[in-house]
Amino acid sequence: MTPLQRLIAAVKGEPADRIPIFCNLLDQGAQELGMSLEHYYSNGEHVAEGQLRMRERYGHDNVWSLFYVGKEAELFGCRKILFASDGPPNVAQFVIQDYDDIEKLEVPVDVAAHPAFLETAKCLAILRREVGGKVPICAYLTGSMTFPALLMGMDRWMELLLTGPADLRELLLAKCSEFFRREIAAYRAAGADVLLYSNPFGCTYFVGRKRFREQSLPWMERDLAEGGVDGVVYYCGMSPFANIVGEVIDRLKIGAYYFGPDDDIAEAKAIVADRGLTCGVINDIKMLSWSEQQVRDEVRRIIGAGKGSGRFLFGTGVMPYAIPEANIRAMLDEAYRLGRWE
Amino acid sequence: MLDQIIRDYREAVFDTDGEGAVAVAENALNNGIAAEDIVFKVVIPVIEEMMAVINRDPDANLAQHFMTAQIAATVTEKMLVHFRQPPASQGKVVIGTSAGDLHSLGKRIVMGCLKSLMIEVVDLGVNVTPERFVDAAVEHDAQVIAISSMMIHTARGENGSLAVRRLLQERGLESRVKLVVGGAPYRFDPELYRTVGADAWAEDGITAGRVIQDLIRAVTRP
Ligand code: B12
Repeated sequence: MTPLQRLIAAVKGEPADRIPIFCNLLDQGAQELGMSLEHYYSNGEHVAEGQLRMRERYGHDNVWSLFYVGKEAELFGCRKILFASDGPPNVAQFVIQDYDDIEKLEVPVDVAAHPAFLETAKCLAILRREVGGKVPICAYLTGSMTFPALLMGMDRWMELLLTGPADLRELLLAKCSEFFRREIAAYRAAGADVLLYSNPFGCTYFVGRKRFREQSLPWMERDLAEGGVDGVVYYCGMSPFANIVGEVIDRLKIGAYYFGPDDDIAEAKAIVADRGLTCGVINDIKMLSWSEQQVRDEVRRIIGAGKGSGRFLFGTGVMPYAIPEANIRAMLDEAYRLGRWE
Repeated sequence: MLDQIIRDYREAVFDTDGEGAVAVAENALNNGIAAEDIVFKVVIPVIEEMMAVINRDPDANLAQHFMTAQIAATVTEKMLVHFRQPPASQGKVVIGTSAGDLHSLGKRIVMGCLKSLMIEVVDLGVNVTPERFVDAAVEHDAQVIAISSMMIHTARGENGSLAVRRLLQERGLESRVKLVVGGAPYRFDPELYRTVGADAWAEDGITAGRVIQDLIRAVTRP
């Protein structure tokens, strides 16, 4: 079975050799290619090569077209990214400096043709050529409620959202949502199979239930209205969201849910049930300090809680650069073993 | 009368109604209540109450922490100008995000809580080097260095908390200056603060206020 067939089987609840296993290794590609992170991320060929080599080395079921999340801000004109030697790049210049900039903000009309998308497109083309139709190609997209954090910082976005002028807030959200719709169309056209819909404001760690219902849900609906939910995976930046997933399913009909490591996976699975794919996610920050045995125990716990009779995926977050290779191997080895169907 | 003020103020804070809270405080002032009483008998007790409630509340969220801190800091600031004497300092903290880290929201929430507890805060901004943290603590005679980090490499790396700990050690400052950390990585691994050589951590902004208060007391009243 190919990893893509395995994923599709899990989504549909059909028989397979084992559950799909996602292992999100981004920055590690640079190490693999012996490059600095800045050099690695300057070229889509590097990123594609890094992804392919990672998969060859570990045998997991996905590859990424994501470089780093700050790339989405580059599509809006962000020109400064802070690169580190031992961790992910960060947006270092906010496109929105004051409220006036919100009105001036221009949503890129043709995302696919935007210079800031060219390397991503290059990466996607290589991935498609090499493993297209066999290995799920993942893309990362930030939802409209969260995207302003990349344009103005979490700090000022929280302030605008909670205390700022409503008309400007709505204008900014409308622009971010319009961007999202164009971006997801561009990724689909470029051959991405899995569209990770990243929206931490879509859970109640960030906003209360009232705001979640009155703002997050309607904006998510707008984000997804045009393009539909095919291939879309709901994700709240590793925050738990089992408490509201029922409402999300009812309203948005998304088919896959990438839970946080603190979610109770048995409970989450019971709610999602046969309405979608439940993804159980390991706390990869603890993988920095866990022993191999602790990693294995944790994999066993998660797969034990979620595997049931199917419609389950095991995955990681954005694996920190410094996780010991032995722990990555222990995690995958255990997941391949316990994820098997007899 | 004070009881009614406390009730009204509490209601506004729990509803995250900033304007309402300011109005309650200003009304009280106009009705002859001393600014000192408003801060020490209304604002601080209510934020302390909020600390207890938020810790138990499964539905507590970041927006609440943000607004609570924001409201308490605003009201305190407005009341301070009406104090008859400059208030006795409850302690001093230098705060910033670690080198390479540009995420400022956590710092802002923590600062709001500290200000409302009448703790003086020196804001060093974002992307702060270990030397600057320590130099500033000495210069301002602060009891606590507080570092916010939103990523693993800025929390665990060589230019963050670990380096601050080393400098405190080298300069013989460890009994005078305590080190507290916070931010997303610490919430995902509650033992991480030990790995990075900190004295304490807190999982949210309101708890941070209490934890830092305790550290200040440990230094000033050992
Ligand atoms: C929202 C979010 C985003 C948003 C917005 C980012 C932004 N600009 O702020 C988006 C989706 C865009 C995003 C992107 C990325 N993110 Co992000 N993101 C999050 C999320 C969900 C919340 C972070 C946040 O802003 N919280 C707001 C703060 C204020 O909340 P808080 O941490 O709860 O703060 C409280 C306490 O920590 C405490 N506190 C805070 N500071 C201090 C200080 C002291 C002294 C004390 C005592 C207490 C204290 O009080 C606060 C108030 O209650 C976290 C996961 C999570 N659930 O926490 C990941 C997370 C921070 N992100 C992560 C990563 C990796 C990224 C990216 C680097 C991914 C990438 N490879 O590109 C990018 C970076 C984008 C950029 N800046 O350029 C990782 C970091 C760990 C790591 N691997 O290094 C996390 C932890 C997710 C994970 N588990 O993997 N992200």
